[in-house]
Amino acid sequence: MSTKFKDLYDRHIEMIQEEQRKNERLAIGTLCSYVPVEILHAFNILPVRLWGQSEDISQADALLQIYICPPARHIMALGLAGHYDFLDGIVHSYTCDATCGLFNIWCRNLKPKFSFLLSPPYIDIDEAIEYSLAEHRGFITALENFTKKRFSVDRLRRSINLYNEARAYIKEIYDVKHRGAPVSYLDIYYINLCLQVLPVEMLISLYQDYLLAAKEMVSKGSGKYRILLSGSVISDVDIMGLIEQRGGDIVVDDTCLGFRLVQDRINEDEDPLTALVKYYLRRPPCSSRADFPARKNHVLEMISLFDVDAVIFMHQKFCDPHLSDHPFLKKVLDEKGIPQMQLELEEEEGLTGQVQTRLESFFEILEGK
Amino acid sequence: MEAGKTRKRLKANKALREIITQFYADSHRAKAEGRPVGWIPPMNGLIELFYAMDIAPVFPENWAPVCAAIGTNKKNFEYTAKRGFSGDLCGYFRNNVGYALEGINEENQPLDGLPEPDFLISFGAGCIPTMKTFQVLCDHFDVPVLRADLPQVAMEDIKEHHIQYAVAQMKRLIRFLEEITGKKFDIDRLRQAVAYTDEACRLWDELMSKRSTIPAPFSAAELGIMFVMVTRHGTEIAVNFLKGVLQEVNEKIARGEGVIPNEKLRLFWDNIPLWYNMKLFNYFEKWDAVVVAETYSAAWSLRMDPNKPLESIAYKTLVSYPLVSCVSLHKRLELIVKAIRAYKIDGAILHSNRSCKPISMGQMDIQKVLAEELSVPSVMFDGDHMDGEKFSMAQFQTRIDAFMEMLLAKKDY
Repeated sequence: MSTKFKDLYDRHIEMIQEEQRKNERLAIGTLCSYVPVEILHAFNILPVRLWGQSEDISQADALLQIYICPPARHIMALGLAGHYDFLDGIVHSYTCDATCGLFNIWCRNLKPKFSFLLSPPYIDIDEAIEYSLAEHRGFITALENFTKKRFSVDRLRRSINLYNEARAYIKEIYDVKHRGAPVSYLDIYYINLCLQVLPVEMLISLYQDYLLAAKEMVSKGSGKYRILLSGSVISDVDIMGLIEQRGGDIVVDDTCLGFRLVQDRINEDEDPLTALVKYYLRRPPCSSRADFPARKNHVLEMISLFDVDAVIFMHQKFCDPHLSDHPFLKKVLDEKGIPQMQLELEEEEGLTGQVQTRLESFFEILEGK
Repeated sequence: MEAGKTRKRLKANKALREIITQFYADSHRAKAEGRPVGWIPPMNGLIELFYAMDIAPVFPENWAPVCAAIGTNKKNFEYTAKRGFSGDLCGYFRNNVGYALEGINEENQPLDGLPEPDFLISFGAGCIPTMKTFQVLCDHFDVPVLRADLPQVAMEDIKEHHIQYAVAQMKRLIRFLEEITGKKFDIDRLRQAVAYTDEACRLWDELMSKRSTIPAPFSAAELGIMFVMVTRHGTEIAVNFLKGVLQEVNEKIARGEGVIPNEKLRLFWDNIPLWYNMKLFNYFEKWDAVVVAETYSAAWSLRMDPNKPLESIAYKTLVSYPLVSCVSLHKRLELIVKAIRAYKIDGAILHSNRSCKPISMGQMDIQKVLAEELSVPSVMFDGDHMDGEKFSMAQFQTRIDAFMEMLLAKKDY
């Protein structure tokens, strides 16, 4: 595993603060992958996905009940601990109820200078495009008022181009891994994460270098079980590490961070804002925005595209969308004869003995097949 | 105190029982006569459309409290658990999924249960558990489905494009219902339905405002009357019933008759009631306390314009979820502060509801506002609006007893 992207992620807050100081750029927090970062970037704003685990999640108790999912509570605890004090604002795009509640509570208690909640459409009909355009124009107007800068279509075009390029490299990294390059999923995890928290223009050449190196290493493959990792906000790198150590090779994911976000390209041949809203509407939807047929199609498509042997669901405790989908997806996989297992993660649980044992048993079952 | 029969004191409850029976009988009659029955999510503006097109609506979410009251919720939870769904999911979800997939086939159900749907409306909007409930139903029942969506937008942020998008969804729904029923939509009938709803909401607002009278003429124990606001909007049934309740309440006020003889404390309730234990609202009476206002009951009332029927039902549908949930904490706090003042509240009870994250998130902020801006004490207890296993009466009593004694001492009783 290369530690380059992990190191970058570990230093992202200090790097952003430096960028704020040196280049007088604003930094705005995002709570979800549905926030159109391209628009923020077009205003020369640094989008920073709020992510990670706090040292003391109990700090969130003052504002969020214990039956709210651990990622939301961790982010709240990080905010209360001052971890994100450098931010100039926060933007959310309505996906799950928990993050919407978190957004509201964050705004009320941490009082960001700028906040905006977008409501993207769920279904792809003509009216949805018109509606979404109006919704995004509202967002642009709010940013114009906040930054005192005029929105520029050309700048948006350039931002889209940069994100397209970065996403295309990441997509290709998944592809070379699939073709046998010994790339650790942990690398891919941090590569994805960096695009959420660091300036895109800084990352493109790094992605390119990584891809070139990975291409050199394409071999016959690892001989490990090809795993699809499915869930929402997953940051438990220890568990990902154990899966790989135990004989799994996470070749693709279906999470709030991974392949879904890089799979498609924003069309650069049409009006940039129209192309952008179409991308967010037509991208494979997350559980909170998808119906069952859409979830089924996406999971089966990933299984086929990446020759997946088995699926590991990593679900956060109290995650309504994923826990509601799971029995349906399990049924779909059972019918196709694809082995699957579900890990439900408790607060501060991480890689416990129980998780280890369950993973061990799962791989033993795979070996016995 | 065992969960038993709630002490209801309004005579109107007799008429309400008849209305409830009739509502479910109507859907069975429609089924028997071959008219289509549609199961719909609690997207409130759809009901006027259904009645305007002579379609019997079925609300699974309204059926859930019935199941909780009669005790069939536990079996429905088992049916859901058996299919691998987590016990942490919302009780409405666990009840409705269990009922639809298995409970519906049982013999001798109260009110004859629900007739199977001939079509489903599945919306991307509202809370995730409701959205997912309908996805399970769509997967299970082999019937036509209209998949639509709505913006998730705070009431104070609603702009013209949100309303126009919601209107577009209503038009899609009309085309779908025309195909299902083979009947032409008549805008004048929708106008009439909207006018009934507007009148029902006017009566409801007036009725609720009567609770600011000291002593309060009725308490949250009578919240069952909300049934007409959920299921009979768009009809004269709601209007006539609410007129009757209002008259009864006015007579009580004229006689100076409160819910209890010696009202000392006036309480506010946040979050959904415990449907399996509505008697909880009577528990406060031993301290001469009455629950006189709630967040939940306020969410079902909205004035509408019969001259703009489509926009009216679109707007009603748009605000039905944000009004009670954490889509806008700001709006929710504004409504609570207004109610605390209008109803002269001495203390607030907050039900931290494991079954409803969107309503429960923000309750700590509510407590802060109550304490810091209004100097109104509050207490929070853990519960669940559908699942009695997640509620401890002993813990509730310990908390509430201490709280009520403090409130009495504060008022020098």
